[in-house]
Amino acid sequence: MNKIPKLLQLILVVGGIYCAFVLVFDVILQQVIPNSLLNMYMFFIAAGVLAVYTFTEEGTEELLAPIKALVENPDKVRTRNIVFVLTPLVVAAYIYSQLLPSIEAPVELRSIHPAPPSSVKIYGKRYDLKTLENPYRVLETEDPEKFRELVSTGADIYIQNCHFCHGDKLDGQGPYAAGLNPVPLNFQDVGTIAQLQESFLFWRIATGGPGLPDEAAPWISSMPIWQDFLSEDEIWQVILYLYDYTGRRPRSWEE
Amino acid sequence: MRASEMTKLILLLSIVTMASLPPMAFSLDGDSESGERIYLKRCVGCHGVDGDGLGPGSERLIPPPRDFTSGMFKIMSTAFDGYIPQDQDIYEMIRIGMPGTAMPGWEDILSEQNMWDLVAYIKIFPGFDEEQAGPAVEYGEPIPSSAESIEKGRELFLQDDRCSECHGKDGKGDAIKRLLGDNGERTWPRNLTKPWTFRHSNDQKDIFTRISVGIPGTQMPSFADPGSKKMLSVEDRWHVANYVKSLAKTVRVVNAENTVIKSLRVEGSVPAEVDDEIWEQAIPSSFFLVPQIIVKDRHFTPSNDTVTVRSVFSADEIAILLEWDDRTKSLPGDEDAQKIADPEVLHQDMVSIQLPITVPEGMEKPYFVKGDTENPVNLWQWASGTTTEPQSTSLVKAAGFGTETELATDSLKASGAYESGTWRVVFRRSLSTESSDDLQIQEGIFIPIAFSAWDGSNGESGTKNTLTTWYWITLESESTALPFIGALIALFLVIGLEMLWLRNGAGRRNPST
Repeated sequence: MNKIPKLLQLILVVGGIYCAFVLVFDVILQQVIPNSLLNMYMFFIAAGVLAVYTFTEEGTEELLAPIKALVENPDKVRTRNIVFVLTPLVVAAYIYSQLLPSIEAPVELRSIHPAPPSSVKIYGKRYDLKTLENPYRVLETEDPEKFRELVSTGADIYIQNCHFCHGDKLDGQGPYAAGLNPVPLNFQDVGTIAQLQESFLFWRIATGGPGLPDEAAPWISSMPIWQDFLSEDEIWQVILYLYDYTGRRPRSWEE
Repeated sequence: MRASEMTKLILLLSIVTMASLPPMAFSLDGDSESGERIYLKRCVGCHGVDGDGLGPGSERLIPPPRDFTSGMFKIMSTAFDGYIPQDQDIYEMIRIGMPGTAMPGWEDILSEQNMWDLVAYIKIFPGFDEEQAGPAVEYGEPIPSSAESIEKGRELFLQDDRCSECHGKDGKGDAIKRLLGDNGERTWPRNLTKPWTFRHSNDQKDIFTRISVGIPGTQMPSFADPGSKKMLSVEDRWHVANYVKSLAKTVRVVNAENTVIKSLRVEGSVPAEVDDEIWEQAIPSSFFLVPQIIVKDRHFTPSNDTVTVRSVFSADEIAILLEWDDRTKSLPGDEDAQKIADPEVLHQDMVSIQLPITVPEGMEKPYFVKGDTENPVNLWQWASGTTTEPQSTSLVKAAGFGTETELATDSLKASGAYESGTWRVVFRRSLSTESSDDLQIQEGIFIPIAFSAWDGSNGESGTKNTLTTWYWITLESESTALPFIGALIALFLVIGLEMLWLRNGAGRRNPST
């Protein structure tokens, strides 16, 4: 590590982080980060790394040594000339591209799991989401046979209504998922239903996209208002199925 | 001597035969009991406990789930006179699924062994577990694609209406023929210009296999069958496969990252017709159309799947060209159109553009389906007309479902044309209008835009339609000298700094020598 000049180290670290972002989000996860957001991240990362490298005076000097040498060391005249011609050109080209009118869509940040209201009105009744529980959850231990039956009813409801977007495999990749923005939730993902209480799911399913608070951009969610199509019992049964199929556990208040 | 030469020859021949066989993945022995457990967890929703394709999800699916008891499997590489698919065929349908349908590929959550277990179990429904598959299709020597081969393929495709009888002369599946599947369900000929909807893949060899075997359970026949008047030689089938592969129309491919329609500035006036040459300069953007399953009455069986949009604008007008593949020109009152309509009621084809009446300042937009009370939308609608009525254009204001009110359409014009499986409709409007119920269109800002389409031959009208979510349209701002001036200033600034630094550096360098 000592062999690599500090300046090169800095460039390698920042460049490496950038490549890692692109690799992880664009290539592996296929979830492209908007450029403006990535630029913001990279700004903080570059600033942070620079702060570390210039923490001591020696560090700063060592970092700047190759740049100083360019002007002060007569052996490097050739390199200097190349750098001095290229730098203004690169800067000018960058400024030019930045000043061209952009056609990149405005960034819209939305909260995926917004904080639920303490109480909501569903089916004309008031529900306290803090105390609301799945009435069928107890059957899991008390009457497993009946429980299996309800899970299987939930499966039927799911396949008739939900799979079009959330997918046969509950992975958010249903046949129409590609045409939706925001994309349907992937229930297999550990960051979704495993992190939520059943009452949260009940609220999200029953009131759908239009029932979301403003920070979650209710105007673009394609989630239907399911209380218009399904009964209260049916929603609870679908919820049983979601957890059963994915092998996840609902989060409870005790945790 | 002779004997050893014979052995050598046999060895050589078997190597050649093995090499010429399709490259098959290693086939594992499936355990049907394990297969049954997986089937009961993952497949019954659509295919049913009895494998008859009558699971609870089946009634809302087009195409319907496969009835395994029928023994018909769409993807088959057994020669035309066999009726039992190769195990590998069933395996592949499970592994990658059936693109363009609700059947997903399972390889991401099932192990190879588990998928073979399913193959073993599924074969029990039609009684194939006790029988041997017939010989595989003969592939001969594949012919690489070339302009010459594609042209030959095209001739064979059109010859005696061999393929165009159902797939249409441009391959968009728009020929007027009512097709039925083995269970009497409606099926549509594949639109060959959209390769991502091919049931297996648009690999040259896969296309060859479909042409050779046909698609069991549908009216797609085998073109290797010597009993058929339309039979093709192995060589000719490669030519047709090359032609079919060449039909893939890239402009219809949806690029998920492209969410902005860029309207191009033109001199003079904007085009009023769909075939104006100016459209070739405009940048096309394609979006998926999804069925409306959000409010009653829901629509689960769509036929339109994408819409391609182009736009240009002049000093005072904007024109938007919508283009979408629709297999049927739905003309109520027309006998041929009526014959192919499903269900019996035939509506007009329609399309609409949705725009907010006020361009939102912040993030908040109108609800993406017809707006909401606080954020109303404009709908620019066009309908294809009937045998007695011409095409019509309407301008609608909506503030949620069921609140549509029609406005005067003086400023809005539309005109459409149908040609071999594609509708093209051009909308025109002045950039600004007198009415406070109209969106006033400005350059350089991002305006939300969404689309809806109706295929009248597919029972679509009212809430039964296909739609997109919000995208953006932006009118290119007038190009200014600003970027150029900015770049020049930056250039001189940096050179100046360099000079300054050089002088300082030189000063420091001299005393040390």
